[in-house]
Amino acid sequence: MADFLNSYSIQRWLELCPQGYLEDTVYGHEEGESEAEVLLADDDLRTDAIRSTVQLVVGERAALAASSGLVNAAPDYPSKHFLATQTLDEARHVEIFTQRLFDLGVKKADLESTIDHFANPHLVKFAEVLLEKVDSGDFIAGVVGQNIVLEGLAFSVFEMMETSNRVSNPKFAHTLAGTIADERRHVGFGENRIGSLIKEHPEKKSEIEQMQKDMAYHMLKTFSLSFDEGRDNVDKARDVMGDVGSADFHGTDLSTATSEEMQTVLEQTVIGEFKTRLARIGLEYQAPVGV
Amino acid sequence: MSPEHDSDRADLGHPDPEFDPHALNQEDFLNEVHSFEFWFQAVEGYLRDRPYGHAEGEQSSPVGVADLGQSEKDSLITTLCNYCVGETAALEGASGMIAIAPNRHSKIFLATQVADEARHLEVFLHRLRDLGIANPEAEIERRANPTLLVFKRRLLELVRSGDWSAALLAQNVILESMEHSAFMVHAATADPVTAEILDGVMKDERRHLGFGENDLGRLLADHPGNRARLAGIRGELDGLVLAVFSRAADDLATDRSMRADMGREYLETMDRLGLV
Repeated sequence: MADFLNSYSIQRWLELCPQGYLEDTVYGHEEGESEAEVLLADDDLRTDAIRSTVQLVVGERAALAASSGLVNAAPDYPSKHFLATQTLDEARHVEIFTQRLFDLGVKKADLESTIDHFANPHLVKFAEVLLEKVDSGDFIAGVVGQNIVLEGLAFSVFEMMETSNRVSNPKFAHTLAGTIADERRHVGFGENRIGSLIKEHPEKKSEIEQMQKDMAYHMLKTFSLSFDEGRDNVDKARDVMGDVGSADFHGTDLSTATSEEMQTVLEQTVIGEFKTRLARIGLEYQAPVGV
Repeated sequence: MSPEHDSDRADLGHPDPEFDPHALNQEDFLNEVHSFEFWFQAVEGYLRDRPYGHAEGEQSSPVGVADLGQSEKDSLITTLCNYCVGETAALEGASGMIAIAPNRHSKIFLATQVADEARHLEVFLHRLRDLGIANPEAEIERRANPTLLVFKRRLLELVRSGDWSAALLAQNVILESMEHSAFMVHAATADPVTAEILDGVMKDERRHLGFGENDLGRLLADHPGNRARLAGIRGELDGLVLAVFSRAADDLATDRSMRADMGREYLETMDRLGLV
């Protein structure tokens, strides 16, 4: 265990992240890059971008609260070290996505009211399920909820957004690329560290699976509401952005797909990832009912 | 600007040498200095090419260790074990404070502090291994100063109580000041590798202490009614801090004037806040 945790040390993180793929970036993107002009010029598209970025801020704030809350519950120094790097990663994500809201025209004085206005209520519930486990000091459930479920969700959502913005909005795509690299590390820690703990505490399985089921329910409701809200602007965005070429995301071309097709491929991707990652730590994916 | 301020500014590591965050208005100042970007620029200058806090070439042959006598080596091990206790307290305290921080700037600053404290813990653990300690966690448990453990417990109680100003005082002013004072005195006589590690750690501690003093200073200016309550907490913790200093000075066999330096810096910080 100690050997694998050495690869999650602060020293390794410093070399890999601030001195690695984040070197020479400003708020996660190359210096001088800005949001696509056409996006800033169109009120509907800009509002849509603000709405989707607010969900990223809400998710990252939950991740910051969860990872910092888990430091105290961690049973060993190497896990505390890793969670300290994750805490800073999540704070950076909060910062860069908040900065994007400012770049999209949100005034600093209006930040919190904008977040309150656009935050998806199901995403807020999703975070509450996780933070309840963190607040009770439940390290195993907290890491599964944070590093497998929340991070697994973020990983696929960021990948999808990065794919669809690669040509039309390189600044945002670059911002997302750094967060994807971070999330990959977080998910890796969750899988590697928790597998052995679940073997030691099989009695925790049912409680953790129930948490995963509750989180998956709110995640799917979040997707459903988000794609509903953005549906009307899909065609408009394509008209305004012009031909950006194909954008393949797990077999679906995001440049031509309908809103329903995009929602389906995202759900299938995230749930597929959940099944794979949960199986690796000895858990079985629990499908939520009523959604 | 005084030479001392010039030195502080150099520690910021900002790409523009003329940049002075203190010239910004308060909102922009907080946006600037309590950010990942600012932290990144600050640590980059003194952490690059210093794995585990010291220059790379020194990693495999820890300079100075071979020259230490058995008694000096044993004292250093005890001292480092207690630094690990202090840094664990700082790590758990700072991470717990994120949940109760009153605004985004403070949460982001504390996240940078969490990574700093974890790095300090990591470099001290690494140094213990350099000194031949195969199981640092067991050694820390064996050598931990009981008074420091009491301080840690009290700090975490204040954090868990959700009292932001009390937690900020205990963590970012008292603990950071205590650590900075002890490290400064130790660095003056330490072997070169330990001294270089302590130098990097103190640069971080100055940033944490600055955050604590600034935020608490603003808070006391806005809510002077808090002063008496916080002075009471300071009074309660002072005894523990001075007892920790006394034991640390014994471990390091420091002379009388250095013992006085340790306590003086700490007391000066407390007096700056007017918590008497």
